[in-house]
Amino acid sequence: MSNESSRHARFNQLAENYGADLYRYAMWICGNDALAKDLVQETYLRAWKALDKLNDIGAAKSWLITILRREYARTFERKVPKFTDVETVVITEDSELAPDDRTEIKLLRQSIMELAPKYREPLLLQVVLGHSCQEISEQLGISKSAVMTQLFRAREQLKSRLRKDGVTGNVHELF
Amino acid sequence: MSMNFSEFIRQLGAEPLSQDPEFLRARSSSPEFHQAAEEADAFEEKLTRAMDLQLPDDIMKNILQISRHPVGSAAASTTPWWRSMALAAGILIAIVATGITWNMNRGWDSVDEYVTDHYRHDGSGLLARAGEKTTQDIQGIFASFNVEAAPELADIVSVIKYCPTPNGKGIHMVLNTRAGPVTVIYMPATEVNDRETLDFDGMQVLLVSLEKGSAAIIGTGSQGLLALYSVIQNSIIPEFSNA
Repeated sequence: MSNESSRHARFNQLAENYGADLYRYAMWICGNDALAKDLVQETYLRAWKALDKLNDIGAAKSWLITILRREYARTFERKVPKFTDVETVVITEDSELAPDDRTEIKLLRQSIMELAPKYREPLLLQVVLGHSCQEISEQLGISKSAVMTQLFRAREQLKSRLRKDGVTGNVHELF
Repeated sequence: MSMNFSEFIRQLGAEPLSQDPEFLRARSSSPEFHQAAEEADAFEEKLTRAMDLQLPDDIMKNILQISRHPVGSAAASTTPWWRSMALAAGILIAIVATGITWNMNRGWDSVDEYVTDHYRHDGSGLLARAGEKTTQDIQGIFASFNVEAAPELADIVSVIKYCPTPNGKGIHMVLNTRAGPVTVIYMPATEVNDRETLDFDGMQVLLVSLEKGSAAIIGTGSQGLLALYSVIQNSIIPEFSNA
C-alpha cells in the first residue's frame, strides 16, 4: 500500500471509529446542529492535515477531542453562542419511547443543557465518549479527584432536577 | 479494607461503570449497597439514552470527503491539472474582466459603509438568483486572487461574480446553505476586525478575517451566520499553502 493510500486508510478509520461520537459530543457542547457539523468537519480537516504527527493510533480519540475542543474555544473565544432550544438541539428519534419516558428524557436533556460547563463537559466525555476519570483528567487538565467531584455533582444536579420537577423521587420509578 | 457506604455512593456518582474490583465487590456487599447500585444503573441507562443523538445522514460522507483535500507532503506533490487549468482560466477571466467596466475603489470610508453600499446596489438582485447553479469557473475566479475555495465552500456556491471592494476587486457570491441563501463578499486586500458584526436594512453582517484578506457574510438574523464563520474562514485558502 502506498503512503498516500495508507494515509487515506488511517483517516477513514478515524472517521468511522470516532466521527459519530465526536458529532454527538459537539452537539452537546455547542447546542446547534450546523455548528456541531462545522466543528466536527473542522476537526477532521485539521486531523487530515496533521495526520502524520499522530504516531500512536491508540491516542487518536483524545487527539481528535483535543482538536475539537480547541476549535470550539477558538471559534467562540469572543462570542459565546446562546444555546438553542433543546428540542431543536436534540434530533434523536424517540418514537419508540412511551410518552412518560419521552417526558423524562426531555427533562433530562434540558437539565443537561442547563448544567454549568464545568459539570457538563466531564459528563459528556464520560457518557458520550466513554472516557475514564483519568482520561478526562488529562483531557481537561485538572486532577482526577476534581473530575470525580464534578461528575458526582453533575449527576446529583440532574437527579435533583428530576425530583424537583416531580418526575421521580426514586429512579426505579422511571422504569 | 472494604469500601464504606459514603465512598461507594461517591464512586457510583462519579464513575458508575468503574471496573475497580473493590467497587464491584461492594455493589453486592449488602442490600443497602445493592439497592443504591441498582438505582444508579437505572439512572445511568436513562442518562445514556438522553445523550444519544441520531447521526445526520451526511456527516460521515462529509468527513470522508475531507481526505480529498490536498495536504503537505502526504498529498500529491505535483500541482493537480485542474488547479493549473483553473489558474489559467482565472487569469483569462481577470484580463477580460479588467477590460470591461470595473468600478473599483470608490473610496468608502469603512468596511461597514462599503458592505452596506454594495449590498444595496446589487445584493438582492443576486440573492434572487440563488436557485441557480453557477456555470462560472469557481476555482478560476478564486485562483485569480491566488486563493482557492475548499469543496465545503465551492460546492454550495450558487451565484458568483467579481465585484469592487474597498481595496480593489473581490468576489461577490451567494451560497445555498441549509438556512437559505446567504451572501458572502470576499475582499482579498481588505482587513477587518474579525467577528465584528453590523446591521443594516434588516440584514446582519459578520466579518471574517482570513489568511489572505477578509470576507463579509450577509444574511438575516434567523440564518445563524455564525455557523458559516468557520466554513468561510477555513475554505478560502491561499493557493498552494498546503502543497
